[in-house]
Amino acid sequence: MTTQDSNRGSVTIRAENLSKIYGDFAALHSVSFEVRRGTVAAFLGPNGAGKSTTMKILTGYLAPTTGRAEVLGFDPSDPEQRIEMSRRLGYLPENGPLYVDMTPRETLEFVAQIRGIGAGTRSAVERVVAQCAIEQVMSKPIAKLSKGYRQRVGMAQALLHDPEVLILDEPTSGLDPLQIREVRQLIRELGRSKTILLSTHILSEVEAVASEVIVVGEGRLAFAGTLEQLRAGGTVEERFYALMDRKKQEAA
Amino acid sequence: MSSRAQVVGALFRKELRSFLGNPTGYVFLTLFIVASASAAFLTDTFFSRNLADLATLNQWMPAILMFFVPAVTMGLWADERRSGTDELLLTLPVRDGEVVLGKFLGALGVYTVGLVFSLANVAMLAYLGDPDTGLMFATYLGYWLMGALFVAVGMVGSMFTGNTTVAFILGALGCAGLVVAGMAPWASALVGLVVLAALGALKVSILFGRGAAIGALVGALVGVGLWLGGVPWFVDIFAALSAPAHFASFGEGLLRVGDILYFVGGTAVALYLCTILISRRHW
Repeated sequence: MTTQDSNRGSVTIRAENLSKIYGDFAALHSVSFEVRRGTVAAFLGPNGAGKSTTMKILTGYLAPTTGRAEVLGFDPSDPEQRIEMSRRLGYLPENGPLYVDMTPRETLEFVAQIRGIGAGTRSAVERVVAQCAIEQVMSKPIAKLSKGYRQRVGMAQALLHDPEVLILDEPTSGLDPLQIREVRQLIRELGRSKTILLSTHILSEVEAVASEVIVVGEGRLAFAGTLEQLRAGGTVEERFYALMDRKKQEAA
Repeated sequence: MSSRAQVVGALFRKELRSFLGNPTGYVFLTLFIVASASAAFLTDTFFSRNLADLATLNQWMPAILMFFVPAVTMGLWADERRSGTDELLLTLPVRDGEVVLGKFLGALGVYTVGLVFSLANVAMLAYLGDPDTGLMFATYLGYWLMGALFVAVGMVGSMFTGNTTVAFILGALGCAGLVVAGMAPWASALVGLVVLAALGALKVSILFGRGAAIGALVGALVGVGLWLGGVPWFVDIFAALSAPAHFASFGEGLLRVGDILYFVGGTAVALYLCTILISRRHW
């Protein structure tokens, strides 16, 4: 049994019948899935499928209209439990939003202050700077950084407190092929010791980094299982398009 | 320092640095100092009265703050919403109230810096005459408390939008309401209608998650009914919200508990409203 296998077992992320309704529009319809400890799970779906809404609910930014989320045993919709959860969770929101008037160093120091890292800030910053390869740009205003470097700074802030769980919303969005390869390599390395849920609409990304897959379409769950189970009966691409066609028919 | 104070402190420093690290911030501070000095000395009444006080500035200060403070607060939350950093911030281990308090203190810090520079007005008075120290202390405490209230109200305006210009207008309108509330019965009633409409919109949004316009309409109609129905306390209540009226005692060198409570209480209510508005993402 490998280290990764021995880490697996308990459910780290759980979604139970999550729904999110905005007025007359339902962004999520009763979505349920689980991600076990030590797993890299890909949350796959086209744009507008409900991936980001699910991630916002799991991180406590939004509350579900109905249903329940659980991360590391904490309920993100409970304000006090969300605080405890976020101490052990790293999150990269969609498009990697950052304070553009700050430098990466100021950003990381600000996040370290908020997280109360204290005396360990210097070593934590050095660790994530090396992990995300942002040494060259540490003193430049984020407004002047390329999309790739901004995304890496976003990853660095998510890793600063060495969290048990990482939730990454489209971590390779807007990156060039070389940057994509580097970020995927980083995710694979981190996946050896952490539970990772990452959203993507890129089919090749699923096979590149994930061992488990959750597919959503039209705000509904289309598939949840291992990569091997998804591949059964066709390629990932063929299976994905078949699942999406079925969800469109159900929604209609 | 407790971890909670660390959160508020980190946000306070970030806001202060963001404003003072930006050339636009210095433009606003300069305009504030020039405006306050002009209001204090470039009027006929200052020299004709022949008194070493800031009575002329006291008359203009609410109007100056009505524009200056929303310029400081307009980006506090609107910028976070526009750039999406609100999601980054609110998924860190922070409480909504801590975010509001940290940002409020940051903006209040900027205002305090402006106020400190405006002490040049007092230096000018000392050069021209012999100003009363107690009067100056009370006057500046009044400026600071009124500014704190306006910062909190301006912050409420910033909570509604991702557009800083709209946030400025909303903040200025909120502060203007406090400035004009006691000027005339019709002005007090108008402020009352707006307050009731806002409360109606907020209540309906909390209860049903939508229908704010209907809630605002119902609130405004209730206000019109009370006003035209001749209910006497309707105008009186909103006339009592007048910031200049409550500031007047400070300008005379008096520290009245009721006036201090007005500014402190009003600030607390506006900050509580900000906390509710941040949490509306869950509705």
